[in-house]
Amino acid sequence: MISVTPKTLTGIAPKIDLTNLSPEQVALDIKNLNLYYGDKQALNNITMSIPKGQVTAFIGPSGCGKSTLLRCINRMNDLIDICKVSGEINLHGVNIYDRQVDVAQLRRNVGMVFQRPNPFPKTIYENVIYGLRITGEKNRRVLDEAVENSLRNAALWNEVKDRLFESALGLSGGQQQRLVIARAIAVQPEVLLLDEPTSALDPISTLTIEELINDLKKQFTVVIVTHNMQQAARVSDQTAFMYMGDLIEYSDTNTLFTTPKKKKTEDYITGRYG
Amino acid sequence: MNKWFKSGSPWIWLSAGGVSISLISVLGLLWLIASRGLSYFWPAELYQFDMVDEKGIATEVIGEIYDRERIPASQLAHLELNLDPEQTSIERLLIKTGNRELVSLDFRWILAPQIITTSTPEKLVVIERRTNGNFYGFIKQLILDGKPVAFSRFDELLERVDNFQEQLDKLQKVDIGAINYQLERLRLKQRKHDLDGTLTSALEEEFRQQSNSLNKEYVQLEEKLMQLRNNIARDALVVTAMNGEEITINFEHILKLSFNNQLSIIDKINVFFGQIIDFVLDDPREANTEGGVFPAIFGTVLMVLLMTVIVSPLGVIAAIYLHEYAGKNALTKLLRIAVINLAGVPSIVYGVFGLGFFVYMVGGSLDQLFYAENLPGPTFGTPGVLWSAITLAILTLPVVIVSTEEGLSRIPASMRHGSLALGATKIETLWRIILPVASPAIMTGIILAIARAAGEVAPLMLVGVVKMAPNLPLDGNFPFLHLDRKFMHLGFHIYDVGFQSPNVEAARPLVYATATLLVTIIVVLNMTAVKIRNNLREKYHALEQ
Amino acid sequence: MDNVIVGRHISGQFNEDLESVINQVMQMGGLVEQQLSNALNSVSENDEGLAKRVLANDYQVNQMEVSIDDSCTRIIAKRQPAAGDLRLILAILKTIADLERIGDEAIKIAKVALESYSGKQQDLLVNLDNLGRRVLEYLQAALDAFTRMDVDTAIKAHSTDDKINREYEALMRQLMTYMMEDPRSIPQIMSVIWSARALERIGDRCQNICEYIIYFVKGKDVRHTTAEDFKNL
Repeated sequence: MISVTPKTLTGIAPKIDLTNLSPEQVALDIKNLNLYYGDKQALNNITMSIPKGQVTAFIGPSGCGKSTLLRCINRMNDLIDICKVSGEINLHGVNIYDRQVDVAQLRRNVGMVFQRPNPFPKTIYENVIYGLRITGEKNRRVLDEAVENSLRNAALWNEVKDRLFESALGLSGGQQQRLVIARAIAVQPEVLLLDEPTSALDPISTLTIEELINDLKKQFTVVIVTHNMQQAARVSDQTAFMYMGDLIEYSDTNTLFTTPKKKKTEDYITGRYG
Repeated sequence: MNKWFKSGSPWIWLSAGGVSISLISVLGLLWLIASRGLSYFWPAELYQFDMVDEKGIATEVIGEIYDRERIPASQLAHLELNLDPEQTSIERLLIKTGNRELVSLDFRWILAPQIITTSTPEKLVVIERRTNGNFYGFIKQLILDGKPVAFSRFDELLERVDNFQEQLDKLQKVDIGAINYQLERLRLKQRKHDLDGTLTSALEEEFRQQSNSLNKEYVQLEEKLMQLRNNIARDALVVTAMNGEEITINFEHILKLSFNNQLSIIDKINVFFGQIIDFVLDDPREANTEGGVFPAIFGTVLMVLLMTVIVSPLGVIAAIYLHEYAGKNALTKLLRIAVINLAGVPSIVYGVFGLGFFVYMVGGSLDQLFYAENLPGPTFGTPGVLWSAITLAILTLPVVIVSTEEGLSRIPASMRHGSLALGATKIETLWRIILPVASPAIMTGIILAIARAAGEVAPLMLVGVVKMAPNLPLDGNFPFLHLDRKFMHLGFHIYDVGFQSPNVEAARPLVYATATLLVTIIVVLNMTAVKIRNNLREKYHALEQ
Repeated sequence: MDNVIVGRHISGQFNEDLESVINQVMQMGGLVEQQLSNALNSVSENDEGLAKRVLANDYQVNQMEVSIDDSCTRIIAKRQPAAGDLRLILAILKTIADLERIGDEAIKIAKVALESYSGKQQDLLVNLDNLGRRVLEYLQAALDAFTRMDVDTAIKAHSTDDKINREYEALMRQLMTYMMEDPRSIPQIMSVIWSARALERIGDRCQNICEYIIYFVKGKDVRHTTAEDFKNL
């Protein structure tokens, strides 16, 4: 009998090793981030690296701090008076909580899309170029180009190209959300934060947005918070599971959804009582 | 019965009843003032009554029937009328007889039983005059340059006189007014130099020359004026009043002549609208009891617009500070309560405050600083349209603040965040997103402010309104808008005409007409604002849901 | 039922669905075990009636496979199971496929009983019976591990396969000797060889079931791994 020693076979290997990213691969480096609302601690010592050009999803039960963490990345938490942050979030090696950082500039670099579509009550055109207007761009050609590019990138161009100068409020929910995404990418951010972008949409619109997210990661680093675990599983490359302000598990999405390491993660993604 | 209560219909009836009562009272009010007011413009039938008074003397009364009432017969027992004893009450008529130069009173009561015949002769004429009120009577003769001519030339002559009158008015008000204004300014300039101690003899000479040339111009205009006056005084109309008295009315006094009894219904409608237009566009005459109310309309609208221009930015800015920037602490809360309570302060208190603070303190200081040459004559240190507008702006400020804040708090946070997340600063977000979206609410505040301010009279009496303003606050003399001038106001006009005029009875229809006009103006102002707001709302409708 | 496997899902319906599937798998396991045991008995006691019953009962095994497959499909469609639940469903799907094959192998064995053997050949059947008992024990151990989803039992059972393979090889050598001694007995011996072969296959499938258990519990695919890897579990 010929005995052949079989080699170890493995499934699909993770694209990158999250524990050992090279500096070029990192888009955002979060270190020992703590956040307090008054006396209550909402984020406990979060440390993680978000890789460039990929989709990273934050999942977890309500109030686990995933949206809070997302809002830390473009400092939207500054709007809450009682919110205090310690630790670092590094973008290009600069801590965004540094005193010298211009928050408006940071937010142009780190765009954000919210849960409910929030187009401004202006025309579609004006909505898209809002960010550019803020920066003082006046050249009509540049603006026209930005509108077309952003709308194309947001997979909305074909639907609205004939009514760019009509009110954005006339669009459907899904279209509005894509318009908001177009508005966010018109300023050419590096990172795009999506805060439950499909929770107010119907399933078909949701799929359109998911497809869009998949396209967006070619140009941007996408961070998405979602309540919908299947969505996280579908769209993300990395998934972070958070619970009560702690980062419980952060790994490659394929691994996290088939063989999570932590009991809490397993319980959450299989829908069990913790 | 119990079941009926449980069914809830009593509540429906109760609430529907409440609505009905409110509706009826509003419509009733409008109907009352509108019908009384508008009937003033309707060309009345002219009557000739032949009657015998209690002494048995036959007289003739010509005029319009103004009012009818029944009085108990017992009250008239002393007159010893031959009455049917069963008749317990007697009708009496109030007749407007006009012809103030003949009788001191325009009005006269006559008792129905004393009337022998009532007729409406077609030849009866009513002449509206610049002085002495209406004339009722018959045309006798038209006199041109002292010679009688055919009456058919009346219209031609009236037109000629109107033409002269127009020129006269222009000469008086515009040309001579401008010269007077310039002279006054020249005087003030000289006085200023005098006060500053920079008045050199050369300057003095220059001023003298300027004033001389102005005076020369003035004299020329004066001559022209005299000429015009002579021209106007050339023609006259001889008329017969009741009881056959003859009067000559000079054409310069005649405004309009109308054979009311000959008018068809269409003519009457034409006259009706013509009268309304005259009422709106003419200046008042005869201590406000006749003529139009144009200066009052103008004053009201100008003052309200000025007030809007002042209160809107102030209120909006205050609301923005309270809502966006002020810390959410006890002090802010206190401030907000204070603002809301300000709305409840009686308006006369604002008037007192306006007089004491704005007119005397601020205005007085302004005069000392910038208008010293005019002292002791006050410029801003006296009630005027600016102080009225500012006082009303303060009065209506709470309304604007409260509704703007309401609007700001209704804007979803997501919209704000959306803008901030795109790298806009707070002020950019405010300016580009929040304010446009809140504009319907701001407009609501302004509407309420206008509604309140347009109807407010009490404080204005202290800070700027007068019975009769010689000049409009807006004219052709630089700087065109004279904020220091006093002005007329419809609300005050109503009070003045209705209760302060020498002939209250005659002025009563005018009170209603003015009230109708005031209501109309407020409605128009409001409707305009509502229209603007609805357009804005249309634009931002999705957010109101 | 066994909370260890299913756990406490927030959705009670999901719990029930999973429990019912697991119950069906147990039932199927029991049935297959019964089939194998009956087949072996029919051979050792030369009981044709029993052998026929085994043949007749196979449709039940097939029926259960189809029905469990169906339940699993429905669970996947409706619940989109993830992590442990997903691995459980996958393990069940694969396990029932193997169980069905084991059922088929049992039929092959039962068919041996339908043939007649001379007295001398009865000795051969004793050897076969020994192998059969060992495989049956193995199957019982694997099913036991499955019932409790017990990794230790599964790992222990997993190594049994080597022993079975060795015994199978020994039996083969013995049968070859018989064939060489008496070529006329070759047809009968061939059918014994088939059943031995069937038993060996059953052993392999039991090993698979053990691997599925390990996959479910540990989330690691231990198929086609070396013994060293296995020890590192």
